[in-house]
Amino acid sequence: MAEAKGGGEVAIVGVTKRFGPTVAVESLDLVVPHGSYCCLLGPSGCGKTTILRMIAGHETPTSGDIRIGGTSVLGLPQVQRGTAMMFQSYALFPHRSVLDNVAFALKMRGAGTAERHAKARELLAKVQLDKFADRLPAQLSGGQQQRVALARALITNPRVLLLDEPLSALDEYLRLRMRGELRRVQKELGITFIHVTHTQLEAIAVADTVVVMAQGHIEQAASARDIYVAPRNAYVARFIGGQNVLGGAVESVLDGTAAVTADNGSRFAFQVGDGRPPRGARLYGSIRRDRIAIEKLLPGAKPPSGLNTVVGEVHTIENQGSYVKVTLDLAGETEEFVANVADDKFFANALEIGDRVVARWSASDVKLLDAGPLAHDPAAAGAAMAGGR
Amino acid sequence: MAMTDQAADAALAPAAPAHEHEAIEPAGERASWLQVSPLVLVLLLFFGLPMVVVFVVSFFDFERTSIVPAFILDNYIDLFRSEVTLRLYASSLKFAAIVWLVTLVLGFNIAYFLVFHVDSLLVKIGLFLLCTVPFLTSNIIRMISWIPFLGRNGIFNQALMGAGITSQPLEFLLFSDFAVVVAYVHLFTLFMVVPIFNSMARIDPSLLEAARDAGAGRFRVVYEIVLPLSRTGIALGSIFVVTLVMGDSFIVRTMSGGQSASVVSALQNEVAALQYPPAAASAVIMVVIVTLMVAGILRLVDVRKELAR
Repeated sequence: MAEAKGGGEVAIVGVTKRFGPTVAVESLDLVVPHGSYCCLLGPSGCGKTTILRMIAGHETPTSGDIRIGGTSVLGLPQVQRGTAMMFQSYALFPHRSVLDNVAFALKMRGAGTAERHAKARELLAKVQLDKFADRLPAQLSGGQQQRVALARALITNPRVLLLDEPLSALDEYLRLRMRGELRRVQKELGITFIHVTHTQLEAIAVADTVVVMAQGHIEQAASARDIYVAPRNAYVARFIGGQNVLGGAVESVLDGTAAVTADNGSRFAFQVGDGRPPRGARLYGSIRRDRIAIEKLLPGAKPPSGLNTVVGEVHTIENQGSYVKVTLDLAGETEEFVANVADDKFFANALEIGDRVVARWSASDVKLLDAGPLAHDPAAAGAAMAGGR
Repeated sequence: MAMTDQAADAALAPAAPAHEHEAIEPAGERASWLQVSPLVLVLLLFFGLPMVVVFVVSFFDFERTSIVPAFILDNYIDLFRSEVTLRLYASSLKFAAIVWLVTLVLGFNIAYFLVFHVDSLLVKIGLFLLCTVPFLTSNIIRMISWIPFLGRNGIFNQALMGAGITSQPLEFLLFSDFAVVVAYVHLFTLFMVVPIFNSMARIDPSLLEAARDAGAGRFRVVYEIVLPLSRTGIALGSIFVVTLVMGDSFIVRTMSGGQSASVVSALQNEVAALQYPPAAASAVIMVVIVTLMVAGILRLVDVRKELAR
């Protein structure tokens, strides 16, 4: 409990974790600075929960080191790590009152009844649940249970709080409220939060740093803003959403702009800066969905050709309130292509499913992506975090 | 067929709109009574009725070979006056207590191992089947096979002497209270394992991790989390074991070589001597005592509430 307020920096150094023949995490490096909110984001099975469990000490890395506050915690029991974990299903003890649930960790540390109950009541008051201290967890709603779990995790004054999909059991309304709450608590306590989720918007909403993972390695670690506006590669762009991924072979390069031809014949312009990609090299770029203008193609009109123009058929239309999500089927292209059209613009000239439309964008809005997965680059993660805050 | 149709209607009832709900509710209740009626009938006919007959007969008088309808309390008075009754109950209760304790410790540990240490379902089922092996032979063969194992020159004694642990055969192994307890434990541990396994299997493993995360050691986790959450299973297993031991006469007689007897074996003797009214009286007392024991267990653990969880 006397753990210094500092020293909540979590460093994962070359950690590999195998379960039998399967590799869950492969030589992964990540530094989460003290007092920051970090989200591990990825599809199920990408190793994000395994990382969390290794930090908590519920799993042991096959190789590599985990350091908290600069010292290795491998082999240390949970108590000495200064971590606390919040479980996906909350894991509240069903046979104990809310008060005893919150006070449990203090009981394990040998605190007297009066002392631990006083501390537990104080924490319950913080999450506005002091009225429910004597109830059983099953008598509380999902959101209340979640707050009990948070209080229980915080009672030992951990330097690192580990959250395993903390919001996935809540309904949409509570999820949005609780994620704001988590962020507020983190800022207030100033401790390190590591939060595992598979929901992109949740990660972007709460985190200082978002770590996008795939199959046991990091694809990109960057500030929430960067991850959204500047995904590093096609995987991240597709996973975060909000982007269309364009790809094709280089035709020519002129004044820092490469002309690229996709497999279906569409042609794009990518700004490559000082890079000089050879002719025929494959380049990928991303374009934000809300930077695409679409326009109905009149029947019989000759489809326009030219850079940064694609022609497609409207596949689905979803009204999202402030904008309308229009999915296009592009001829000879399997990748989803979506335009988010501002509601006023859309309804000024509404489209129907099956309409042929032409979509255009400006070359300066296209972000060049790395072709393959990133090489392991711990420095990048740290730098991105520093920049993000 | 009509019954199943009604049952199906009853099952659909909760989905009906709210205003129709009240009209359908009594029908649903009737259907559920219909569903339990076969069991009620069987119980009434083959359990309730004989119990009533036994109760009535316990007040009858008897002569050498016949029972005489009457209302006398002599059977009960004799029973309570007899020192033998007290001794028999003391012995049966002693066995019940020892066997309960041993099967509880064994059953809890076996169930814990099966639930939390065996990952593969196939292995779990295999080990479970292993627990049922004692039931694959008949009572008599099982009892007889203890003799070459526990006897004076049996395998166990020879192994002990061969290993130099004892210099002469242990006499108390067979035809003794020890042998009775061994046979009970051998048979009844399964009845402890199954219900405890059932309640343990419903414990979310993340609870154990949460407890460890809060700083609980291995034994603390068992004491604080696993044990309280296995209460239902422990209660049900205890009911099985206690009633089985209290109701036994065969094992105690065979394994003790006739040196020990149980309440039920005394009762059997009376039946064999055609003294039905006193036998009925001791049966009634037996039922009352076992019922009180079960009620006591159920008072400690609200099985209904926990099963509904």
